[in-house]
Amino acid sequence: MQKMKFWFLTPLIILSLIMGGPSLAAEKKAIQPAAKAVENVVIGFTASQTGKFNVESTRQIHGLSLWMDQVNAAGGIKLPEGTVVKFAAKFYDDESKKDRVQELYTRLINEDKADFLISPYSSGLTDAAAVIAQQYKRIMITCGAASDSTYNKGYTLVYQTYTPASRYLTGAIDLLAQMDPKANQVAIVYEAAKFSTDVVNYLKDYAQKKGFQVVLFEGYDPGATDFAPFIDKIPKGTDAIMGGGHFADTSTFAKQLYEKGVKTKMVALLVAPPEDQFAELGDAAYAVIGPSQWESSANYNPKAAKKLGLEYYGISVADFTKNYKEKYKENPTYHSAGGYVAGLLLQKAIEMAGSTDSAKVKAALDKMNLMTFYGVIKFDTAKAHGLQVGHDMVYIQWQRDAKKKLVKRVVWPEAAATGKPVFYRTK
Amino acid sequence: MRNLLRLGYLLPVVLILIWGLVVIIHGEDTLREKTFTLLMFVGMASSLNILLGYTGYVSFGHIVFFGLGGYFGFYLLAQHDWSLIPASLAGGAMSAVIAGLLGVAVLRLRGAYFALATIGINEAARAFVTNFGPFGGATGLYVNFSVYEAYGGASQALWSTFTCLWITALATIIASALVKGSRFGLGLMAIREDEDAAMVMGVKAPQAKTLAFMISAFFPGLIGTLYFFKNGNVEPGDAFHLHMSIELLVMVMLGGQGTVFGPMLGAVTYEGLRGYLLTSPLFKSLHLAVSGLFLLIIVLFVPAGVVGWIRHRLPITRRLLE
Repeated sequence: MQKMKFWFLTPLIILSLIMGGPSLAAEKKAIQPAAKAVENVVIGFTASQTGKFNVESTRQIHGLSLWMDQVNAAGGIKLPEGTVVKFAAKFYDDESKKDRVQELYTRLINEDKADFLISPYSSGLTDAAAVIAQQYKRIMITCGAASDSTYNKGYTLVYQTYTPASRYLTGAIDLLAQMDPKANQVAIVYEAAKFSTDVVNYLKDYAQKKGFQVVLFEGYDPGATDFAPFIDKIPKGTDAIMGGGHFADTSTFAKQLYEKGVKTKMVALLVAPPEDQFAELGDAAYAVIGPSQWESSANYNPKAAKKLGLEYYGISVADFTKNYKEKYKENPTYHSAGGYVAGLLLQKAIEMAGSTDSAKVKAALDKMNLMTFYGVIKFDTAKAHGLQVGHDMVYIQWQRDAKKKLVKRVVWPEAAATGKPVFYRTK
Repeated sequence: MRNLLRLGYLLPVVLILIWGLVVIIHGEDTLREKTFTLLMFVGMASSLNILLGYTGYVSFGHIVFFGLGGYFGFYLLAQHDWSLIPASLAGGAMSAVIAGLLGVAVLRLRGAYFALATIGINEAARAFVTNFGPFGGATGLYVNFSVYEAYGGASQALWSTFTCLWITALATIIASALVKGSRFGLGLMAIREDEDAAMVMGVKAPQAKTLAFMISAFFPGLIGTLYFFKNGNVEPGDAFHLHMSIELLVMVMLGGQGTVFGPMLGAVTYEGLRGYLLTSPLFKSLHLAVSGLFLLIIVLFVPAGVVGWIRHRLPITRRLLE
């Protein structure tokens, strides 16, 4: 037995030293010379294949993969001088943690020769990746990264597809003002985590600027399950309750608002309402509003683009939804749409630039102002370079159809609306 | 200091020295990034060993010092324009001071009670930072990309950060060796074997434990500042990962607690394996399962850690592996 252990463990230890030690020999990959008329462009990114962002990140990657399959199947992008650009993906698991993000992006650029980068999922991971992208002068399209701060750091090559946190819930204030011009009191109860705190800080400023009084502004610990103390603090007569955080806490908050019989004109919460599972709350889900980056029922089409004086580019909402469902046997979410549109924007920028040269593609992205199935896309080119300034959130509301079944309808902005908003509970 | 010249103490110091030099001379960015991650864990595991390995106190809160010290150092960098080295040292000093204060209270506890208290400290620290305005509250702090210009551009800044981390890892190993070879270290090990008996023999256990706790906390604070500076931002979620504390314990146990070489070997093996599996075309989708299996086998077969096992099996190596 002792002998067996010796022979088993000795090679194991030697192996670990070889793998972990200073001789960490990089796997040098032979670079295949591209065929004359075909240029293979490598898109590098990390995916959260494990860890807390797994679900969202997987959907994002599904969207990106669908775009890549479609563009390659259509013969790639034909550049003016005759070269055909085709795309290949190279990615690693970031485990939903920041620890190795910079290491993996450095590897993607130096060893896998990634020409363009897509961000990891979440603002925190994207912040770490952006330092590397900027250092190596690689364009990085971010999706799943809504924080404004990333774009206030002086990066010139990082472009955001999501509507930033600063405008995540502000549309709900506009909607409330339209539903009831006399409304003037808002209570904000939110998860004290980075994303939700970012969102509500901007929301509070915006509400006050629009003449609303913020009657309650309270954060709860991530993972909170009892919201009664917060609900009890909401003054009677408050016109709207806004906030939330992630799926679990926001769903529980919505449920407890209903169970405690809170009367208010609007309940607008983060993250959970756009998810299909939110309907499992039954009556507690009714009339709850939630901001979403994209919905399959949103009305973005060439006609809407023309009305705004913009070009419409790429796939239609219906085709994206259909193709995604066919390939992945599930409905696309805004994470999926974000992944797809990240690739689509890169495609459009390469077409506009007529080249894959980073400087020319950057110039094209800076100039971009168009509508896609995902909505309007335009980037800030001034102080907050790369910040998304064209895209707007759509606000969904859970309503009942003719058969009294809960359905999601887009109620804001008007251009994308598929239904009229209703009050939450006033009697 | 004479103790440091013993072969067993010199070996890890020389290995780290050569390792860093090779990376710097080679000048390859990918290798630098891989080594940064490994050296970070070498420093963290070796510093934890000063408490866990020498006194036998199991701490789940080592990451608190990485988080709090790192936050403080990064705060000085981002809000008060301190440069990297003084900010890192201040981060380390802050961690040591906090450890000194905490030590007075929690080091009275023993065994499972101490371990439980350290978990509580981790949660309390995270809650404190989440609600502490100067540290940016829940949204954290960040630096502008232009900050790296002061270090010769982003590329040079990353190399400078690497060099600082390399020196820190080296300093941690030297500190670990100095503690182990000193009278103070013998006192700590006496506490580990039987605290009451050690006190009867004249070891001033409360003071010795607190000092070990402070030395052990200094290095994570320094490493935290370097890590957050490299990432360009810090937020509470990144700074107080309880699972990282647990991983550090695994590294120390895996390599061999109470030895100078063991935590370094454990960190390199554990993190090296993770990094290899993550980027291996064959295992990249199964890396967690393979890494878990590998770990299980080692823990089952080598409960004394790799260094303990080698020392036991090959007596000739005892002078070499301390």
